[in-house]
Amino acid sequence: MATESDSSRELTFEIFRFNPLDPGSEPRMQTYTLREEPYMTLFRALNRIREEQDPGLQFDFACRSAVCGSCGMMINGRPTLACKTLTSDLASTIRLHPLPAFKLIGDLSVDTGTWFREMGSRVEAWVHERQAFDPEAIEEPMDDDLAVAIYESDRCIECGCCVASCGVANTRGDFLAPAGMNRVARFMMDPRDGRSTGDWFEVVASDEGVFGCIGLMACQDVCPKELPLLEVYGYLRRRALGAAFVRKQR
Amino acid sequence: MARSPYISSAAEAVDRQSVRGRADATWPAESRRQVIYELISGLSGLALALFMWGHMFFVASILLGTRGFDWLAEALEVTYIAQPTVVIIFALFVIHAALAARKIPAQLRERRRFAHLAKELRDSERQWRNIGPDGVLKPHVESWLWIWQVRTGMIMLVLGSFHLVLIGLDIFTTLFGDRAGIEAATSMARTAGGLVWVYGVLLLCVEFHAGIGLYRLAIKWGAGARLSRTALWRVEKFLFWFFLGLGLVVLLVLAEIIPPPLGFILGS
Repeated sequence: MATESDSSRELTFEIFRFNPLDPGSEPRMQTYTLREEPYMTLFRALNRIREEQDPGLQFDFACRSAVCGSCGMMINGRPTLACKTLTSDLASTIRLHPLPAFKLIGDLSVDTGTWFREMGSRVEAWVHERQAFDPEAIEEPMDDDLAVAIYESDRCIECGCCVASCGVANTRGDFLAPAGMNRVARFMMDPRDGRSTGDWFEVVASDEGVFGCIGLMACQDVCPKELPLLEVYGYLRRRALGAAFVRKQR
Repeated sequence: MARSPYISSAAEAVDRQSVRGRADATWPAESRRQVIYELISGLSGLALALFMWGHMFFVASILLGTRGFDWLAEALEVTYIAQPTVVIIFALFVIHAALAARKIPAQLRERRRFAHLAKELRDSERQWRNIGPDGVLKPHVESWLWIWQVRTGMIMLVLGSFHLVLIGLDIFTTLFGDRAGIEAATSMARTAGGLVWVYGVLLLCVEFHAGIGLYRLAIKWGAGARLSRTALWRVEKFLFWFFLGLGLVVLLVLAEIIPPPLGFILGS
């Protein structure tokens, strides 16, 4: 076969195995081998392992094109999307772990959904209208730079890689984490949102928010969508500072 | 604020952790306190780092020989600049330590988890064979360096306190040397007598801790938006090596291992 030429590598996969629902299951690393194909992604490799070697292996995939955010995992110690990762970029031994900081469903599969839903309700991640929506009215124009900034923050696919890479999020469950702060910034920037900076103050300026962040920027380094998180945190810190010293009433 | 029925009901469904629920209960004292802690820890760190650079230039007067050093020390003492500085720096030192330490995970279990993650991220690059087509697979070392920032901070808390007490005794008492004040002869005898190792470790810790601390302050408050992180990192590295190099030369002179290289200027 052309795909299995002599030059293709034999890949060794060391995969974390544990089923928390099975009382007999112990956390362990299991080894699989697979011959590399041209342009092989981890999506392809894991599916082949599951089809050909171990039907019980748990992992998540949906879109296989870095949009759905369900295949985040630790690949050789780095949280990233499996569907976006080519095996040719990796050494021949590939170590896979589930994302830390999330609840483990089994093997490589974690529950990011519950975390993101709780975060969304905590920061009230919807536009709080200034006044009742009038479908007849002409929409107010928005500055180009602002529209782009909001769009950039909205590009988050909620894969959880930033949360997994964050030392603070990994040690403190109440931390808003990179994805949460990005979400806050998205609505704080939005002029259609009626909340004033003071309304945000509690959730942003607290130790659970941007002042809990140490600024290590692992989140930005691993973000598969390359979101401008550095700018986001700088923006939040400056806004929180302004709110702390400008807003006196209430 | 007028809201649609849907939004107000959704907002009511949110638990006590929500923006408004928490805000009504505890705003603003607790959150304002957090802002103030963050500001004080940042500003005290900034002040200490800037002081250390100035300090380095003052101590570097030893490169001109003992006369230059003694002249500068006495000038700062008769004008009553040195005395309050020792007290203020000691206070800032303690305040900074107390406030910066609030970021250190309390449980040993949490610290181990943090360290494990930082190591994984640091070493991950080695296991990626190629840099991807986007060229973004940089190793992430900053989490690991933060752990060392904590460690150097701990070391400085001990060695720095020792140094500050020693200098305090120098300035305020006649316990060491001929007069109440910093003297080159006392400092050199002390350093050559064995404290060179203490000061060597302290120097390394100070430059490492201050350099990364300033870099992180710049990152945190948004200078990173203008200068890229790479550029800031380069500035940090330059400052680290410059002050470490200068400090080592000064230390060697103080330990009487090499003669003052600029002694000819004052003709000694």
